[in-house]
Formats: sequence, C-alpha cells, structure tokens
Amino acid sequence: MINLENVSKTYRSKVKVVKNVNIIVKPGEFVSIVGQSGAGKTTIVRLLIGEEKADEGKIMVGDWDITNIRKKEVPYLRRQIGVIFQDFKLLPKKTLEENTSFALEVSGGKLSKIKKIVPSVLKIVGLYEERKRYPHEVSGGEQQRTAIARALVHQPKILLADEPTGNLDAINANDIINLLLRINKFGTTVILVTHNKEIVNRLNKRVITMDHGQIINDQEHGKYLL
Amino acid sequence: MLFLFRIIKFSFQDIARNIWLTIATVMILLLALFSINTLIAVRLISDNAVSAVKEKIDISLYLSAEATESQIMDLKTQITNLDNVANVNYISKQSAMDSFRVKYENNPEVLAALSELGRNPLSPSLIIIPKNFDQSDLVINGLKAINNPIIESRDFSDNTSILTKINNITKRINELGLFVISVFILISLLVVYNAIRVAIYTHRQEIEIMRLVGASNYFIYLPYLCSAIVYSLLSTLVIISIFYPLLTLIQPYLEVFFMGYSINILSYFVDNFVLIFGSQFLIVVFINALASLFAVRKYSKI
Repeated sequence: MINLENVSKTYRSKVKVVKNVNIIVKPGEFVSIVGQSGAGKTTIVRLLIGEEKADEGKIMVGDWDITNIRKKEVPYLRRQIGVIFQDFKLLPKKTLEENTSFALEVSGGKLSKIKKIVPSVLKIVGLYEERKRYPHEVSGGEQQRTAIARALVHQPKILLADEPTGNLDAINANDIINLLLRINKFGTTVILVTHNKEIVNRLNKRVITMDHGQIINDQEHGKYLL
Repeated sequence: MLFLFRIIKFSFQDIARNIWLTIATVMILLLALFSINTLIAVRLISDNAVSAVKEKIDISLYLSAEATESQIMDLKTQITNLDNVANVNYISKQSAMDSFRVKYENNPEVLAALSELGRNPLSPSLIIIPKNFDQSDLVINGLKAINNPIIESRDFSDNTSILTKINNITKRINELGLFVISVFILISLLVVYNAIRVAIYTHRQEIEIMRLVGASNYFIYLPYLCSAIVYSLLSTLVIISIFYPLLTLIQPYLEVFFMGYSINILSYFVDNFVLIFGSQFLIVVFINALASLFAVRKYSKI
C-alpha cells in the first residue's frame, strides 16, 4: 500500500530531517509512528501527501510513484489519502456538514453522491445531529471528528492522522482513537503519528519509532519505547 | 455546469459570511472610483473653461464697405485655401447690422443713435476659424501675407500674445492634469490591489484547507475571481448611484458660472456612460483578478 525506499529529506537549513528511511505498510494495517519532536514524523506525513518532495529515495502509494509528483497531480493524490491534523483545519465559516461535503464538492463529486455519503460519514463519526453547527460551536473532539468525516468522504484507502489527539483531553482523545480503530476495521489503512505514550501502548498495534530522522525500531505489536 | 454552480455558490457564501470584509473592500473600491470620476469631471470643467476663453478670441478681417460680393468671395476662397484654416465665415453688412440690433435690443439709446445715422455704418467682415487652436499663429502669419485692397483692418495683432498665453496655460493644464490623473490612478490601483490581497490574506487558512482536501488551483482561484467581479459590480453600481445625483446637483451652479457657454457634465456622463463606467468596471475587475491570482498563488503553496 505504502512503500518508502531509502527516503531522505533535507530542508534549506541543511538539516537532514529524514535519513534513509524504509517503511512498507500493508493494506489494512494500523501503524503508529512515534518519536520526540524533531524526529521526522511529520515530515513523513508531508512527503506522503505531496507537500514535500524527497531528496533521495522512492515513495510509492499503491501503484503510484509520487517521488517526483507534479503540482497539478497533488489534488488527485489528496483525494485518495485522507488526512487529519492536530489543529483540525476546519473552515470556520462553514457548518460541520458543509466542511464535510466540501471535500467532495471541490473534487467535482455529484450532488447525489454527496447527499448519500455525507450523512452516512457524519453518522459514523457521531455528528449527524450536530451537522448544522459551526466549528466554534462544538468541542475540540467534535471538531476532530468532523475532520475525520471530511477525510472519509473520498472513501480513502489510507488515512493519515498527524497528532490527532494533541489538542484534546483524555476522554476525547480516546474517542478519536476508538474511531480510528473502527475505520481501520472497515479496511482503511491508518497511519497514526503521535507522541502520546498511553495511546500507543493501549493500541498494541505496529509501532515505528523514529529518532533524529531515522527509524530506530519497528515492532509488529510494539510499545512506546522512548 | 456543476463546477460553475459550486464556484458561484462558494463565492456568494463567502461574500455573505464575511460581510464586513466585503463592505470594507467595496468601500475602498468606491473611494478609488469616486476619486477617478471626480478627476474626470474636473478635467471636463477645465477643458470647457479653456474652450470658453478660446471662443472669445476672433481672428477677424474687416473689409471695406465698398467691396463687392465677388471680391469678398474671392478673398474668402483665398483664405479658405490657406493651410490650417478650418472655416471662414462671411458676415455681410446686413448680417452685422442684424446681429448688432439683436445684441442691443434692450438698449434703446444705442438703437436710436443708429436710426439717426440713417445708414449702415458697419463693415462686412470675415471670421477665420483655425483647424487647430494651437496653430492660430500660423493662420495669422498667412493672413498677414495677404495683401488685398478690400481689407480695411486686421483684428488679430493684439491677440497673438493672448493666444500664446492661453496656449501655454492649456498645455500646462493638460500636462499637470495628465500627471495628477496618472498618479491618482496609480495610487488607486495600488490601494485596490492591496485591499484585495488583504482580503485574501484573511482567507489563507481556507486556501490551505482547500488544497489539503484536494481542491485544484482553479477551484481555489475561481470563487475569488467571482467575488472580485461581484465587488467590482457592487462598487460600480454604488458609484453610479452616488455620482449622478451629485452631478445633477452641481450642474445648475456650473451653468451659472459658465453663463452663455454650453457646458453640461451631466449629459457628458450620460452620453459616455458605457465608456466611463464600463471601462472602470473592467479595470477594477482586472486588478481584482490579478491581486486574487497573486494572493492565491502565494497562499496555496502547501
């Protein structure tokens, strides 16, 4: 599903943030990428959504070689990979329903498809009743669930979650992780980037540990090592 | 069709939900348009004032009272054939008398004196109109070179210096006017450009999110272009609704000030409505579109 082969990335500051990384993620896997700040976790996410390009190595998503992806191809890649972030990245002037349907509207989804998919994903994330509210009217957990709903409307095979619980309290964080586990059960590959030790240890799933841009551990049923 | 519908929908949603930003942008556009239209009106009034002064200056040849019609016609043809002469009007003795009587119809003393004289004391004359006011000197030189015995007097020797002065003033007004208008338009363009950039700066988060969920550049840019057209249309409509009543208000004062001269800025703006406001609308749309394009490009690099 995802294959990073000897990938390295250096920013303008000449600091090599990702060094010779090799990751293979199989379809349907739930993988946590852990590490301290500056370990290179978020750079891996940015490389996978085409926000950054690798200096060395090869990146494959499915059969698509995105190592040197062209700018105009990036929107198509992002319609195939759902992404959620710590800061939710919702449009403040749109309701939860509009935020969710927005991802389909911008990619030219038909109205009939939007009418069918949007209510069903809002029900999956438990926000159907709140759909007419604006982001500032709901809790952080509900905002993150909206972001997940938005990421799911394209029915992506991969869901990238970059510190999704970073802005949430323990209860809401647990809710979000449970939701990600449910989505993974439906067959979606989930890559969770986090430095939340408790969550990673509770999951008992594959854990890739990064430090200073390198993979220092990759365990099938791993724990947070650092 | 669906694509277009969504672009328009997003645009109108954005305009309505960011109403204060919309009002601020339209206000800045309005100020710029108001300034430009005021400058157009001022320029029109100054042009009319200069023309009014020019009209006061005749290049006239007074002819001998004994000159025959054929002699006068020959001279008229000769002058008409001169370079830089647009037209030559022949005022016969009788026409001069008729004009005189009309001019002094409210002055019985003058008319009584004329009756006592018992004959027409006025001379026939030729009024020469140059093709271009700036070339009056050339026309006068040409007239000076004509040596015809029926020419009794030439009324332009004193005008030469006035003509030179007016020509200089007109030239300076034109140069200054052009400079002021250019500077003003440049400032207006920069203000509008930055207003739109600020408006889009506030949308940078939205642009970033659009990119993240897979929106193409067109889909990000076109709603802003659509909003830009709406802003431009709104500001043009408002300036029209402000400017016409204002012109209607000013027109009577101008008529009093330029009494005896035809000056009507209201009808000028009515006659040139499409040219004036159509071009302003298109220019504002162009600047808006350009500013939107630059801003979207800048903030959609993610």
